[in-house]
Formats: sequence, structure tokens, C-alpha cells
Amino acid sequence: MSLLIVEHFHTASVSLRRNRLRTLLTILGVAIGVASITAILALSSGITKIFNHQVSGVSGSLLIVRPAQKESSLVDLSNPTPSDAYSTSPIAERDLQTIRDIKGVKSVAPLMTLGSEIRSGNIAPKDATVLATTPDFPATTSLPILNGQFIDSVTLENTAVIGEQLSVDLFGTDESAGKIFTIRGQAFTVIGILQPQSNPINYNNVDLDRAAIISLDSGKLLNGGVAQIQQINVVAKKGTNMKALQKTVRTALARNHSGDADTDVLVGKEIERPTSKLFILIGGAMTAIATISLLVGGIGIMNIMLVGVAERTREIGLRKAVGASNGAIVLQFMIEALIMSILAGILGYAGGYLVAFGISLLLPYDPVFTWQIGAIAAALSIGVGVIFGIYPALRAARKNVIESLRRYH
Amino acid sequence: MAKTANNTVIELNDLKKRFGIGDAEHYALDGIDLKVEKGEFIAIMGPSGCGKTTLLNIIGLLDRATDGDYLLDGKSVERLPGFRHARIRARQIGYVFQDFNLIERMNVIENVALPLTYTGTPHTKRLQLASQILKTFHLSEREYYMPWQLSGGQTQRVAIARALVNKPSIILADEPTGNLDSKSSHIIMEELADVHRAGNTIIMVTHNPNLTTYATRVITMLDGRIDTDTKDTKVDKKDAKGKRPLGQKPKVAKKSRKRKAKK
Repeated sequence: MSLLIVEHFHTASVSLRRNRLRTLLTILGVAIGVASITAILALSSGITKIFNHQVSGVSGSLLIVRPAQKESSLVDLSNPTPSDAYSTSPIAERDLQTIRDIKGVKSVAPLMTLGSEIRSGNIAPKDATVLATTPDFPATTSLPILNGQFIDSVTLENTAVIGEQLSVDLFGTDESAGKIFTIRGQAFTVIGILQPQSNPINYNNVDLDRAAIISLDSGKLLNGGVAQIQQINVVAKKGTNMKALQKTVRTALARNHSGDADTDVLVGKEIERPTSKLFILIGGAMTAIATISLLVGGIGIMNIMLVGVAERTREIGLRKAVGASNGAIVLQFMIEALIMSILAGILGYAGGYLVAFGISLLLPYDPVFTWQIGAIAAALSIGVGVIFGIYPALRAARKNVIESLRRYH
Repeated sequence: MAKTANNTVIELNDLKKRFGIGDAEHYALDGIDLKVEKGEFIAIMGPSGCGKTTLLNIIGLLDRATDGDYLLDGKSVERLPGFRHARIRARQIGYVFQDFNLIERMNVIENVALPLTYTGTPHTKRLQLASQILKTFHLSEREYYMPWQLSGGQTQRVAIARALVNKPSIILADEPTGNLDSKSSHIIMEELADVHRAGNTIIMVTHNPNLTTYATRVITMLDGRIDTDTKDTKVDKKDAKGKRPLGQKPKVAKKSRKRKAKK
């Protein structure tokens, strides 16, 4: 049997090489399908990796309180930030203190986003966000300072820490410490610039590169004295049981809110889910579309194999006459189809990563290499070879010897 | 190669082959009884459509009979599964076709070695055996020619070499000289006669009465039945018309052309 496979491998490579262009085009069809799937998977797992990375940054001791979301529908998913970010939130300032008092809590930081215009002279970057928070914020998310310092308990009101990109947008430089800009006409002095984060998608739902961070008190002043907290980041002390803490926080908040379960308390993987779900969905939809191109490629293989079988009717008849069993004929043509699809798989995998890296130049994250993507590419290409190769191979094997030999006299 | 003691290679009992169904029903073979001994050279003659080729195809396991028994080397093969038939074709039967049927994209030696692929012979061994057999057909210097570079006679010699390469117990030839001129035909027949002298069993279908001189036994067929047989076999009393000693040049008697009533 193994001998026969080697023999068929030889026969197949000879016959594929005889029709170089035809083989190449067929391989290309499948390769494009595999490439698009590989690229999409590489990029979408790139996003997932960012989330995992962020969460692991606070080493699994992060807990997040957000306003309760209705069971997220596709519409909610497609605009997760804007509709939630500036809406009234059930989280009140006193909840902060409640959580702070719970045993096992290390630091608590509220996130209050304001849709206010940031301006410096004539320049008003459109996509900038104002984030009001407390000095505890850096303890709940990785936030290295490039220049200057973060707001703390002794810094004055009307001081701000700004993202690197915002600094460049406003002042044309990231050396903007001491410069002044306005939020709703209120002047703020830059006391610190954040290091570039280049992950606009994160669990804070704020692109920190384009954010101006001010103190919670300043934020309240800008908002008519009301704290409008969209999210509370909580970091627990080392060794705290997060599930238990989640329960405690949930009960405490429910008591604060007269029994209303109007907040979500998230830990671990739940944190990344609402946002990454969108990307998983988009990734899934794109993969489905890419699968169609793979299907088309597969049909190409089937087509070319059927042509090959028709062309070689006589050869098949003769091979059977001199002792080839149906199984041997099936094997011969399956190997031919598999050679094409596996070559296409290799080509597509390599091409897919080229495309993914090309696209990632325009995206804030990089594609990832995982063995799963390689396995999927391999499985897909072999699967395509088997599925679209089996019918032509069976057709070849079922040919009647006598008719095949009589054909094309 | 025959493994049975009584030297009977092929035994056919009341073999029938039907084509079509209902009104279009037609028996290409209508009750063939035949015994072939080891070492015979049988020529099957008869008009077109009398079932010669169908008979050969069934003997060669390229086709299945509708009814009747077929014993090859004493074993019934009629109801064996397809892959067993393939194995028998690979090991016990060599086929020579009228139109040669070499694979155009393979060179001579590869064509000859092809049947060995399906007997599980390693590549180098295959080429050695093919080379050996080509030598006996004086085609050594043509080993790496492509089929289209050969003359008709050479092509058929290659085809015979291919039929012999796996040392089959029977060689079936369907009008092996049908596409050849008379000179080439005689060369081919000499080769077949040599093969026969080497102890092989040959069954040949032919239209050419001249070629029956090479045969040890001549069978004429008519309407799916054996009309005359130069050897009187016990199972075939009804149809046996001539009795001649083995090896002697037979005169083919085609006197009784009267149609036999069907069924």
C-alpha cells in the first residue's frame, strides 16, 4: 500500500507538471481562500491577544463595575462606546466609597468620560475624550508616563495629563508640559504626557492616546457638579478570591441602589467580552465570507480533476485492465487532488500572513502566530482536497474498463 | 503457473452474458462451455458481433457474466469482489489489445513495468524485470522511447512485453494484429508463438484465418455460442465439430452455419 502511494505520488506529480499552468491556476484558487482565512484569523486573534495582554497586566485581580447592559444585541455591539459613554449612569459617587470599604480591595478608580470639546487656540481635535478620574487610576491600568506626572491628591485642579497623540494634535509636540488648553472654555495646564499606548480598544473604553485626564472634581465641575461615572476599575489585594469579591461588590452595590441590579460587576474573562465579542462576530462573518472563496477554489479543484479524469479515461481503463483495483484508482486521483490542495494550503498560509502583516500596518495591532491558525489552514486545505477530490476520484474508479478502452479510437 | 493438478486453467460452464433488458434484451454469450488446458494456444474466430470479444473480456475479468460459472485455476471467480478481480488481473492475466493501449506520456520501459505497480513490486525491481522482458523482444535499445516514436509492430511488441511482465498464467489477445500490416502481423504472431512455446497459455481473438496456423486449437463462435472447436472437449459435445490432434494445422470448418434456435 505504501509502495502504491509513493508510486501515485510520482504519477501525480508528473501529470500535474505536464499541465503546469492549469495546476498553478487551480492551486491559486484554493490558496486565495486559505490565505484570506489565515489573514482574518491572524488579525482577529491579534485583537483577542491585546485584551488578554491587558487583563493579565493587572494579573487577574481586576474587577470592573459598569452600568448594566441589556443582553447585548448586534446593534448594541456595533456601537459599544458612544451610546454608553455619555449616557446617564446609575453608578454614583458614593458607590466608590462603598467599594473602597470592602475588604480585599486595594485601589478603586472611577472613569467619567465627558464629551467636551478640547481646544487649544484654533485647534480642536475631534476624536479627543475627556476622562475624569482619581489618582488611583494608574494602579488599575497600565499607564506609563512619558513626561511629567499623573494627577495626584496635591496637584491643583485645572491640571491635566494628556495622551501623546492628543498632545501632538494640540501642540504639535509631545513636549507639552506646562502648556495650556481649554475644556468647555475652562483652562487646563498640562502636567504630564502619557506614553503612547497604541491600543485604542481596551477595557477602559477610552483611547488613552487621545484623552485628556483630569481630576474627578474638575470633571464634576464641568458636568454641573454631578459625577457621571461610566465605569469603576477595582484592583483587589493579592490572593483575593475574585469570585467572592465580585459577589460582595454586587451585594454592596445592590444595597446602595435600593435593590436594583442596574450595574454589572465583571471579573476575569467577562471584562474583555463585551467589546471583543464584536470583533469575534466581525471576524466570524469575515471568515464565513472567506470560506466562500475557499469553496470556489475547491470547485476549481473538482473541475480540473474531472477534466483530468475525462482526459485520462483510456489510461484509467488500461490501469484497471492490468490490475489496478478501484481503490488504487481512487487513491491515484485523490493524491493528485491532495497534492494540489496541500500546496495551495502552504502557499495560502504564507500568503495569508503576508496580507495580514500588510493590513496590520494600517491597524493598531499585529497579527499573531498560533499553532491553531496553522492547524486550521492545514485542515482546511486537506479538507478541500478530500471533499472536492473524492467525487472525481470515485468517478474515475467507477469507469467501466471496456468502455474506457474503447473510447477515443 | 497453473496450480491445479489436472492442468485445466480455465473452465466455463454455461456462461451467459446479456446486454439490454426487456425488448432490447440480447444475449451476447448464450451458454458457453469451454475448458482451456495449460499451454494451449487458442484462436477464437467468428463474424462480428458473435461474442468473441465479450468472451475474452469475461475470461480477462474485465466484465462479468450474467449467468454461469467461471473457474480460473480451479477456483470460481465469478462472484469475487472487484478488488479480488483486480488482483487476479494483476497477477494471472496478461492482456494484449488491438490498439496497443500504451500510456502516451510514459516511456516504453515504464509502460512495460506498469502492471508490476499493482503487484507491489518495488520501483527498481520493476524496471529490472521490464528491461529483461524487453530484451527478449529485442527492444532493449527502445527502452526510453516514447510510444509515439515506435512503429505499429514495435508498439504491439511492447504491449505484449507488458502483458508478460508479471508472468501471468494466461495471455489474452484481442485481435493483436488488427491494426498492423501483414509483415508486422507475422512478426507479432512469431513473438506470440515464442511466448506459447515458453509454456504460456494464450487465447487470441482474430478475424484473420491465416493467423490460426499459429494456434493449437481453433474455436469458431456464432451468435454467442461455440460453433466449432478443433478439440473435442467432453463438456462441449454438442458444439464440437472437429477432432484434430494438438499442434497440427487445423482447417477451420465453417460448414454448419445454420442458425441455432435461441433458447
